Amino acid sequence: MEPLDRDLEEGLLELPSEPMMLNMGPSHPAMHGTVRIVLELSGEVIQKADVQIGYLHRGFEKMCERGTWTQIFPYVDRCNYVSPMLNNVGFALAVEKMLGVTVPERCQYYRVALGELARICDHMICSGAMCMELGAFTPFLYFARAREIIWDIFEEETGARVTHSFGRVGGMANPPTKYFKDMVRAGVPRVLQLISEGEKLLLKNRIFLDRLEGVGVMSKEDALALGWTGVVLRASGVPYDVRRAHPYMVYDRMEFDVPVGTTGDNYDRFMCRQEEIRQTARIIEQALDQMPDEGPINIEDPRIVLPPKQDVYTTIEATIQHFKIVMEGIKVPAGECYSYTEAGNGELGFYLVSDGSGTPYRVRIRPPCFATTQGLEQLITGLMIPDVVPTFGSLNMIGGECDH
Amino acid sequence: MSLVEIVLAVVKILILALFFLNMAALSTWADRRQGAMVQDRVGPNRAVVHLPNMVARGIVLLPPALFGVLAIFSSLGQIAGRAAVERFTVNVQLTILVAWFSLLVLCAKVRSTGAINRAEQMFEDVDPRSIFFAGLGVHAIGLVVGRFVPQAAWPLAAQVSGFVLGGVFLIVALYATSRVPDGPIPLRLAGTLHALADSIKMIWKEDFIPKNGDRLLHGLAPVLAVFSALAVMAVIPFGNDLCFADGNKNGTLDFSDLTNLVATVPASGACNGFRVKLQIIDLNVGILYVFGIAGTGIIGAAIAGWASDNKFALLGGLRASSQMVSYEVAMGLSLVGLFLIYGSVRLSDMAVWQGQNAWGVFVQPLGFVLFLTALCAETKRVPFDQPEGESEIVAGYFLEYSGFKWGMFMTGEYIELVFSSALLVALFFGGYALPFVHPDGITVAFGNTVLFQYKMTHLAVSLLSAVAFFGKTVFVTWVQIFFRWTLPRFRYDQLMKLGWTKLLPLAIANMMVTGVVVLALRNAGPEADAWVKLLADITQGVVAVATLAGFVAVVVGLLEPVERKKFLASSAARFAAAVGGVKPEPQQA
Repeated sequence: MEPLDRDLEEGLLELPSEPMMLNMGPSHPAMHGTVRIVLELSGEVIQKADVQIGYLHRGFEKMCERGTWTQIFPYVDRCNYVSPMLNNVGFALAVEKMLGVTVPERCQYYRVALGELARICDHMICSGAMCMELGAFTPFLYFARAREIIWDIFEEETGARVTHSFGRVGGMANPPTKYFKDMVRAGVPRVLQLISEGEKLLLKNRIFLDRLEGVGVMSKEDALALGWTGVVLRASGVPYDVRRAHPYMVYDRMEFDVPVGTTGDNYDRFMCRQEEIRQTARIIEQALDQMPDEGPINIEDPRIVLPPKQDVYTTIEATIQHFKIVMEGIKVPAGECYSYTEAGNGELGFYLVSDGSGTPYRVRIRPPCFATTQGLEQLITGLMIPDVVPTFGSLNMIGGECDH
Repeated sequence: MSLVEIVLAVVKILILALFFLNMAALSTWADRRQGAMVQDRVGPNRAVVHLPNMVARGIVLLPPALFGVLAIFSSLGQIAGRAAVERFTVNVQLTILVAWFSLLVLCAKVRSTGAINRAEQMFEDVDPRSIFFAGLGVHAIGLVVGRFVPQAAWPLAAQVSGFVLGGVFLIVALYATSRVPDGPIPLRLAGTLHALADSIKMIWKEDFIPKNGDRLLHGLAPVLAVFSALAVMAVIPFGNDLCFADGNKNGTLDFSDLTNLVATVPASGACNGFRVKLQIIDLNVGILYVFGIAGTGIIGAAIAGWASDNKFALLGGLRASSQMVSYEVAMGLSLVGLFLIYGSVRLSDMAVWQGQNAWGVFVQPLGFVLFLTALCAETKRVPFDQPEGESEIVAGYFLEYSGFKWGMFMTGEYIELVFSSALLVALFFGGYALPFVHPDGITVAFGNTVLFQYKMTHLAVSLLSAVAFFGKTVFVTWVQIFFRWTLPRFRYDQLMKLGWTKLLPLAIANMMVTGVVVLALRNAGPEADAWVKLLADITQGVVAVATLAGFVAVVVGLLEPVERKKFLASSAARFAAAVGGVKPEPQQA
C-alpha cells in the first residue's frame, strides 16, 4: 500500500510561518520611555532588530546657540541626568580651553571630587536598574540608599539634588562648604559598604549570573569600530580611559586602576562598573587628601567670573562687570576647539565654535551613549526577548544625551 | 448526605475561603507596602477610616469587658475534677499574658506620647524587652506553682483564678478606654484597608475588551484562573479530626450531637462516636486532585493570552502553558518519594503520619526543594514569572485586562500563593501537627523514654491544631514573599533547561533512592525501627526548640527600642547639620 501523501513535498507538510513583528517601546518598562525597538521574532528569538532613538529629542544643540555660554550649564545638566556634575565639569573645561585659562588648583580638586561622586551615582544606578528590570528588587534598594548619601552631599554642596547647574566658566558656583571633606569621608565608605551588600545578593546568585554571562557579547574590534568608549569599551578589553590616556585637571596625580573586561558580555560590563566604583572611591580619597583647604576657587579674571554679590550691590565697577557678563555673556575668542572628558558612560566631547561674541556659534556634543546605542542592534540580534533587558540595561543608554 | 453534613461542609468552606481570601489581600498588601516604601510614598497607609470617638471607645471597651464578664460568669458555678485544674492553668496563663501584653502596649504608648500620671511615669525608662522576659518568667513560675496546688483546692483555685482573670480584663478595658484620645480616630490597620479600597475601586473601573479580541474567552479566562485557585482548597486538612459522642443514641449524627464533643480521646486518636474531619472533603485521590485542578489555572492564563489580541499577551500565554507542561511533571514526580513513605495520597493521612513520626521536610529534604521549586513555577511567581515578566513582555497574559477581571487574575495569583503555602505545610511541615502534641495531650518522648507528659482535652488539642495549621501557612506565605523581592527571573530557555535536565532527573533519582530505603527499612527488623523512631523524635525536638527560639528572637527583635542609634553618615545632610555645617549666606560668598 502506498502512503497517501505521496504527491506532497516535505515542505508543504509544514505549516506556513512568518516572523512576528513586535513593537517594543517607547512606552515599555525596559525601554525607559526613550527608545523604540521593532523586532522581528521567530518564537522568542530576535531575527532582526531596528533600534529607533529620538523620543527625548529636545533640540539641545540648537538651544545652546541662543543664550550665553554660561546659560548652557542647565542644558548639559539634563543631557545625562544621572551624573550631571560630570557634564558640568566637561562643558566648563571645554569653554576654558577656548579661553585659554586654567582654574586654580583647589577648584580642580573640587571638580574631580564632585565629578567622581557623580560617577559613583551613575554606575550604581545603571547596575541597580538593570537588576531591578531582571526582577531582583532588593539590590536596587541597596544602591538607591547609597545614592541618597551622595545626593545628600550634593544637596549640601550645590543646593540641588539632581540637576545642580553648579559648574561655571572659570570655577564653580560656590567654594566647598566647611565640612565638605568630612561629609565625603564619612559618606563614601558607607556607600561602598552598601554596594558590597547589594552585590552579595547578586554575584553568588546562579540565576543572575546565567542571565548575564555570555549574553550580549561585543568583540574588541567591533566595539572600536562602533566608536564605543567608556565602561562598555573597557569591558570588551580595550583599556581606554580618557582620565588615563589624556589626563585633564589633576588626574595625572591620582593613582587608580582601569578595570578591563575580557569577553565584553553583560557580566563584564556589570563587573567593570562595580570595580570602577571602587577605583573612583580611591580617586576621591586622594583628591580630598591633596586638596588645599584654603585658596581661591575661581580664576581672577573680571571678564570671565562674576564679581562677589555684595560688591555688585555696593560698587559701580562690579555692577557694570556683572551686567556685562550676564547680558552679553563671556566673550570667547573666535575659533573652535574639541574638548573631551571621561563621563559616566564614556568619552563626553564638546566641539565648540565661537565667533567672538558672547553667544556660541555652534555647540556640538559627542555623547557617549549615541555611539553605544548604535551597537544595540548587533548585540541583541539572535538573542531572545528576555535578553534585551539586561543587554540594554548594561549599556546604560541615557535618552537625554543620546537624542542631542 | 444528611443536612448536618451539608451545614458542616458549608461552615468549613466558609472558614477556608475567608482565610484564603483574607490572606490573599494581606499578601497583596505586603507586596504593595514594600513598593510604597521604595518610592517613599505614603502608599497603603493612605487608606483610612475615621471612626467616631464613641465607636472607637466602644471597640476598645467592649471586647475585653465582654471577655472579663464572661470569665467571671463562667467561674460562678462548680467546677470539678480534671476540668478544674485545666481551667486553673488556663486562667493563670491568660491572666499573665493579658497583663504583660497590656503593659507592653502601655509602655509603647508612654514612649510615644508621654506619661499622663505617676503610674505611667514608672514605664518611661523601662525597656520593653524586660517586660517581655519578665512575662515569660512569670508564665513559667505560674506553671510550676500550679503543680503545688493540692487536689482539694482545685475547684476553689479555678474559681478564684477566673475572677482574677475577669478583673484584669475589666481593668484593662476601662484603662484603655480612658486612654483613647478625643475626636475622631483614624483607623488605618497598618494600611490593610488599602486592599479593601482597591477591590471596591476595581468593581467600578471600565471593563475594556480589545476590539478584535474574543469576547467570550476574554471573560472566561479570569473565571478559570480564580476557580482553580479556590477549588483546590477542598482537600486541605486544617485541624484534628473532631470526635462527637452520640448523645441521643440514635446512631446517626444530628445537630444535637454537635454539642457533645468528647472530653478526651486516647493517644491513638480513636473515636467512639462520630468523626468530623476538619477538611472540606477527604478525597481518596487526595493530592492528585490538587495536581489536576491546579493545572487548569494555567489554562486561564493561556486563554487570556489568546483572547487578548495582543502580541505581548500571546507570548505570555505561550510561556504560561509551556511552563506548566514542563513543571507539572517534575512536581508530581518529586512527591512520589513522599507517597512511598506516607503510604497514602490522602492529605489527612499524611498529616497524621507526620504528627506520629517526623515532618516531611526531614524525611524528604531533596523532594522538598524540588517540590518548592516546581510549586513556585506553578504559581508563576518570581523567579518563574515569565508569563507576566514585567520588564520583558509588559504584563504578559493579562496585559489587556482592566477593572475587576484584572482584579480576578491578581486575586487568583495571590490565592494560589497562599494555597501553595498551605500545600507545603500539609505535605512537608507537619500539616496541623505540632511537635510532641498528640490527640491526648503533650508527650515529650524520645524513643521509649518519656520525659514529660501533660494531658489535654480534645477541644484544646483541636483548637491548637487549627491554630498551628493557619500559623504555619502564614509563615510560609511570608517566606514566599521574600523570594519575590530578592531573586531575579530566569530566562525562558534556562527555565526549561532547569525543569527538564535538573529537576526531572533529580526527582526520578529521589524516587528510586527513597524506594530502596523504604524497602530496606521495612525488612530491617524491630531494632532498626526503634532507631528510626528515635531519629524521628529527635527531629520533632529540633523543630520544637527552633520554634520556641525563633519566637523569642522575633519578639525581642520587635521590642527593640525605637530610639536606635542613628548612623550619622547615612545622611550627609544630617551629618552636616550635626557638625554645624551650613552654607555661608549668598551675600557673603
